[in-house]
Amino acid sequence: MSYTNEQVSHLIEGTLDWETVFRMLSMPKDHTRFEQYRDALQTKVTFKDRIVLPLSPHMYIVQTVNAKKWVVKCDCGHEFCDYRENWKLHAVIYVRDTEEAMTEVYPKLMAPDVSWQVYREYYCPTCGVMHDVEAPTPWYPVIHDFEPDIETFYKDWIGLPVPERA
Amino acid sequence: MGQQNIPVQVLGIDAGGTMTDTFFVRADGRFVVGKAQSNPGDESLAIYNSSVDALAHWNRKVEDVYPELVTCVYSGTAMLNRILMRKGLKVGLLCNRGFEQIHSMGRALQSYLGYALEDRIHLNTHRYDEPLVPVSRTRGVTERTDVQGSIVIPVREAEVRQATRELVAAESQAIVICFLQSHKNETSEQIARDFVKDELKKLGSPIPVFASVDYYPSRKESHRMNTVILEAYGAEPSRETLKKVSDRFKANGAKFDLRVMATHGGTISWKAKELARTIVSGPIGGVIGAKLLGECLGDENIACSDIGGTSFDVALITKGSFAIKSDPDMARLVLSLPLVAMDSVGAGAGSFVRLDPYSKSIKLGPDSAGYRVGTCWPESGLDTVTVSDCHVVLGYLNPLNFLGGAIKLDVERARQHIKAQIADPLGLSIEDAAAGVIELLDLTLSEYLRANISAKGYNPAEFTCFSYGGAGPVHTYGYTEGVGFKDVVVPAWAAGFSAFGCACADFEYRYDKSVDLGLPENASDAAKAGACKTLQEAWSELATKVIDEFVINGFKPEDVLLIPGYKMQYMGQLNDLEIVSPVTSASKAEDWNKIVDAFELQYTRVYASSARSPELGFSVTGAILRGTVATQKPVLPEDANAGPTPPAAAKLGTRPFYRHKKWVDAVIYKMESLLAGNHIVGPAIIESDSTTFVVPNGFETTIDKHRLFHLKEVK
Repeated sequence: MSYTNEQVSHLIEGTLDWETVFRMLSMPKDHTRFEQYRDALQTKVTFKDRIVLPLSPHMYIVQTVNAKKWVVKCDCGHEFCDYRENWKLHAVIYVRDTEEAMTEVYPKLMAPDVSWQVYREYYCPTCGVMHDVEAPTPWYPVIHDFEPDIETFYKDWIGLPVPERA
Repeated sequence: MGQQNIPVQVLGIDAGGTMTDTFFVRADGRFVVGKAQSNPGDESLAIYNSSVDALAHWNRKVEDVYPELVTCVYSGTAMLNRILMRKGLKVGLLCNRGFEQIHSMGRALQSYLGYALEDRIHLNTHRYDEPLVPVSRTRGVTERTDVQGSIVIPVREAEVRQATRELVAAESQAIVICFLQSHKNETSEQIARDFVKDELKKLGSPIPVFASVDYYPSRKESHRMNTVILEAYGAEPSRETLKKVSDRFKANGAKFDLRVMATHGGTISWKAKELARTIVSGPIGGVIGAKLLGECLGDENIACSDIGGTSFDVALITKGSFAIKSDPDMARLVLSLPLVAMDSVGAGAGSFVRLDPYSKSIKLGPDSAGYRVGTCWPESGLDTVTVSDCHVVLGYLNPLNFLGGAIKLDVERARQHIKAQIADPLGLSIEDAAAGVIELLDLTLSEYLRANISAKGYNPAEFTCFSYGGAGPVHTYGYTEGVGFKDVVVPAWAAGFSAFGCACADFEYRYDKSVDLGLPENASDAAKAGACKTLQEAWSELATKVIDEFVINGFKPEDVLLIPGYKMQYMGQLNDLEIVSPVTSASKAEDWNKIVDAFELQYTRVYASSARSPELGFSVTGAILRGTVATQKPVLPEDANAGPTPPAAAKLGTRPFYRHKKWVDAVIYKMESLLAGNHIVGPAIIESDSTTFVVPNGFETTIDKHRLFHLKEVK
């Protein structure tokens, strides 16, 4: 199975027809998907840095153009931090820990009791896009979701050369 | 031969997604099959073209033959496609307040209906289709009938009228009413229906109203609602299509009344009130045809196997009758329609063949090339190998005579694709790779067939296997080998068998109604008589509906043969059995006893005598009424025995054929030139325009007086 770059970019936009999406879901993954996917994302962003790994719908680990450093970046261009750090600690955080704040997003009595669960929303300081929401107990530390082993992923999983890293 | 003088009496039509088949039968049992490309825009044209193709064999003209016909049955996929493509009417829905979202949410299983097992257990692929009626055209009204059928809250008139006005304002083209538990007590729904009709009259709106109690009064709320919506959504546009077909027949001098194959295995008029039940009809035709052939041959246990391009369908006929499923799913909707029970696996002649990139095992399907055949047809634009490619490479199919030479197949192209995609990665020769694919398919199908028979508690040795469908005879030897059938039959008209079957079906309406009757084993006579009264009321109600349908077609009530039936089970058991009633009307305790006896007899036949559990008591879950009138059915040809040696003219030459790791020269015969009594020992390939019958070494076949091939393993 293989797909065109156009199909992959429709996949990202959410405009790919269901038959093709279904085939993609149910067939073994095509070998070139990651490259095609990464390249399609690259054409959508305005910065020149190369995307190493997408993290979320608006967030990537990129290789900076000149310094070749790997950093976490928002698609508006805002740079968060080194890819090994927890980017959430560099985001704008809004914590819903009152009943009033909860009823903004859920009907009364259908939201959690804030004494045992709160929502923490993480926004980009530059463009204000919401990157993540976590729903922990109030005392819980900020969660570091994901520490990808990019070298292994490139070398052993998809068989591509690892991008240079300073 | 005086062929012009023998009238053509019966026409069966199978309008499939890609090809429209017609099957004409003469008074002497001779038949011809015609094929033409389907035309979704104007089906009547495809039927006409297909008829021209068929009748050319007899040098006859459509204009001369149509007026001679006495019976014509249509089956097609037009209605199904209309639903799948969501091209129906804008329907407005009236339901109980608080239940407005029910139809949109649908049943969870609707998100994976029609999927192969791998996808069913792969949650990411599950998806809900667009609902037939959006929430914006759904209105809830205050009403409640409880599970026992008592009205807890009567329907509110003002709300119904208000909802009607809103649905009309929302440009609804039909209004469906479906209330909870209305199969138990129809009162509220009928009242609401009358309010709606009255309000529409005030508004001067002519749109039709469909109350579920008037159409499909069966238990299971989602099923009932879906079915009534389907009726409103798709039936009227389909009726237009059928009217067009009928009009073209009439314009060419036809005098018959067009009938349509319905899911319950009978045929109904295109004018019928309930047309939703014609949604699936093609595959059913084969089962009806097999039943008729079985009656002719004296076989009462038949395994029907139909292999086409995309799927393998299996249905069982036991003791001369096929099973009916009362809550089937079609077009990814759960429905309450009686459907001839059939099991299907997504493996056919057009299935794609791929290697699993991790395990390197060969995988068939679940998707298929459909009408595009395979990479052996350069114009297909395909580059993934299909089962047909393997057949072409191994000499099973004649590359120059596919569909009677309509398309030319490129053997070398198929070889290269098989080499690159299957043979090289596995380190096999092209032939062995292709033969491996065929073996895998044959094994898959025969295991499926065997499982279908033994899982229901039967022994294959008591069954005759009928094999048909365009690709059936190519695989017959493969999927019947070693299963141990009593006999294996391949009709010479395998490719047109569904169309033939449609022509065999009775003109029959069937209506169902849920009832809930439960009586202990030793109930009092009064209780038994009471149960009979309830059952009889349901039958009378259904009889009115059935007779009404026939009256629409100009029959008199006294012409109609009414056959009451019921669904019964031991109380507390999960599966009911459908029984033809031993009494024509029920009123007394003796009637109830006969009803119970008939059930227990059937139970013994289907399961075992020792499994009977009368101590649990008996439940009647449904009343059934079928009504039929006499129709002309096809007669089978009766040929004189011409001896075992095929005529020299039938032999076309030889072709290299690969099986069991060696090439052999298979003798090629022309199917049409073979005569009754001819005996052929494999390796041989019997070709006709529309199908290819493969008889490999180790098999032999004899053609009988009805033009049926009997395939046997040589001991």
